[in-house]
Amino acid sequence: MQKDMLVFAAKKLMKVVFTVWVVTTLIFFLIRLMPSNPIERYIQNLVVQYGMTYEEASSRASSLFALDLEASLFVQYIDYLSSAVRLDFGTSFLSPGVQVTQIIAARLPWTLFTVGMGLVLSFIIGIVLGALAAYRRESWYEPLISGTSSFLSAVPDFLIAIFLILLFGVFTWGGRGSIIPIFQLRGTYGPGVTPGWNAPFIRSVIGHGFVPILTYFFSQIGIWVLLMKGSTSGCLNSDYAQIARARGLRPAKILKSYIGRNAMLPIATEFAMRLGFIIGGSLIIEQLFVYQGLGLELLNATSNRDYPLMQAIFLVMTIAIVLSNLFAELLYGVLDPRIRHGGGKQDG
Amino acid sequence: MSPDDWILDIQNLFIDYRTKRGNLHAVHDASLRIRPGESVAVIGESGCGKTTLAASIVKMLPLNADIRSGSITYKPRKGKSVSIHSSSEQTMRTLRWSEIVMMFQASQSSFNPVTKIYTQFLDTARAHRMKLTSQQVLKRSRELLELVYLNGDAVLNSYPHELSGGMKQRTLIALSLLLDPQLIILDEPTTALDLITQKRILLLLNSLRKSHNFSMIFITHDLGIVTQLADRVVTMYAGAVVEDSPSSEFFADPKHPYSVGLLRAIPKLNAAFEHLYSIPGSTPDLVRRIDGCLFSPRCEHSHDRCLREVPQLRSVGGHRLAACHLYEEVTV
Repeated sequence: MQKDMLVFAAKKLMKVVFTVWVVTTLIFFLIRLMPSNPIERYIQNLVVQYGMTYEEASSRASSLFALDLEASLFVQYIDYLSSAVRLDFGTSFLSPGVQVTQIIAARLPWTLFTVGMGLVLSFIIGIVLGALAAYRRESWYEPLISGTSSFLSAVPDFLIAIFLILLFGVFTWGGRGSIIPIFQLRGTYGPGVTPGWNAPFIRSVIGHGFVPILTYFFSQIGIWVLLMKGSTSGCLNSDYAQIARARGLRPAKILKSYIGRNAMLPIATEFAMRLGFIIGGSLIIEQLFVYQGLGLELLNATSNRDYPLMQAIFLVMTIAIVLSNLFAELLYGVLDPRIRHGGGKQDG
Repeated sequence: MSPDDWILDIQNLFIDYRTKRGNLHAVHDASLRIRPGESVAVIGESGCGKTTLAASIVKMLPLNADIRSGSITYKPRKGKSVSIHSSSEQTMRTLRWSEIVMMFQASQSSFNPVTKIYTQFLDTARAHRMKLTSQQVLKRSRELLELVYLNGDAVLNSYPHELSGGMKQRTLIALSLLLDPQLIILDEPTTALDLITQKRILLLLNSLRKSHNFSMIFITHDLGIVTQLADRVVTMYAGAVVEDSPSSEFFADPKHPYSVGLLRAIPKLNAAFEHLYSIPGSTPDLVRRIDGCLFSPRCEHSHDRCLREVPQLRSVGGHRLAACHLYEEVTV
């Protein structure tokens, strides 16, 4: 039993490592297939502006970026892999001398905060509303919940963001100005505050994060409501729910332990898988709010061909998604005994 | 047991389903009385209202069903009679499983798939405020499981998917005895099981009925089960009870033409396949009901009176009831 578990865990881990390696390799070569090379551009710049020879300029660039430009793509690849294993992603091209890991460490928390909050809030409220819509099929508010959810799930997230910017930051309400000052809709926190556990900073962070979080909330809640409603409706008509009622169990008990518990099975997996997309799922929204998270950083890195930074951000995203998939798989095993045991019928 | 002693009395029950075409009269003037310790089989074609009638006894009808008129009265072992047709959901909840057990069709998935069997025994005990500790409930559950020839500990600690179909069925029977009910209703109890398991389950139920002193109503299409298990046979047609006879007399001498047809439709071992009998015509429209006897279009004995007047259920000798204008002409 113990040995089985170890073999199982080792297999899973091998799969994770393999997946990450494949994706990393793909990213490395794809990025280098992109047209326009930033170092080439830098060298050209030196040649034109300072009248250096090409050799002089390229040796200068090489020392600045700690790169051997003569090396073949394959050597660069091996180099990249071996340093990536040591979590050394090199320095950024765009801001020379700054470690890529440093940049990611500075940006990642903001994305985790806003997208994570949006996901968790929409999940909790979504499943409650979804269960309610399924359980109270005959009520007047059921079409309201389902209709709004279908609508929200169909609207692209950037449209929701634009609408919220207009609603909170642009429209003036009876001459009293907008609800949130427009400058607060940009960036992660205001200019006058010092980061740390102080009230003005926290207030500023919440003020700036509020509308992005609301955007993530509205762009995802529809899906959760519809998923939970579908899943709950299926369980409501199940034989075990009917027998539970015939057994005289209290409605609250049936809803919680019999219907809710089973309806949550597919939803919990979906939630675990979406955790992985927290990091990557924010490009356009962060750009709209000029919110300095990882998504915006990736966008900048891509438009400026900052290879080391791009590679590192892609790698972080990949690892997050692969790990969340693994988590989803393990979670399903914990929640559903039928998967944990893998069959094994006794004879009747 | 005197014939006037009863635990459940259904009188002139009418149940409608609201459908797009209009009201579907699923149960139409059905009357039935269950005596203590008795086993009653309800037979009839699909859609004749058997399941609706059974579900109405525990008031677990679908949302679009209404009890239009009639009465369902239940007499508990202790205490006053209960008018089920006018009881609140709260009253019904306490009555369900502790007094009347309803086992719906497809009991292959009657257990919550994500919790172990013992949780589901405890849930049931707690819902009815059994004055026992968890340990005592589990001890009783083990005893009941052993009564149905299962390993109590092993089953209690299993998940439903770890049990075979027959084991699940027997576990459900053990669970149904937990609160010592007076009436157990089974809707097609054995359709999902193989023939050998079916037979074992039925023999088990019959012996438990005697040892635990409960009455049983079971709905079935399988007349083979009926001969083994039933004291009395109730035939339903188009929502109404058309015949109500003691089992042995029913098989020897069915009174209603529809009962005769049903018995003739049983395949005989020595008959060729081509000679398989079926009652001519098809089941009537329950939304737009015709005047007179609903069986008359399919009945070889039908005459003028059948087209005008609905026959009432009345005594046709002994403890037998039938709803037919010319029952005396009917023979096998």
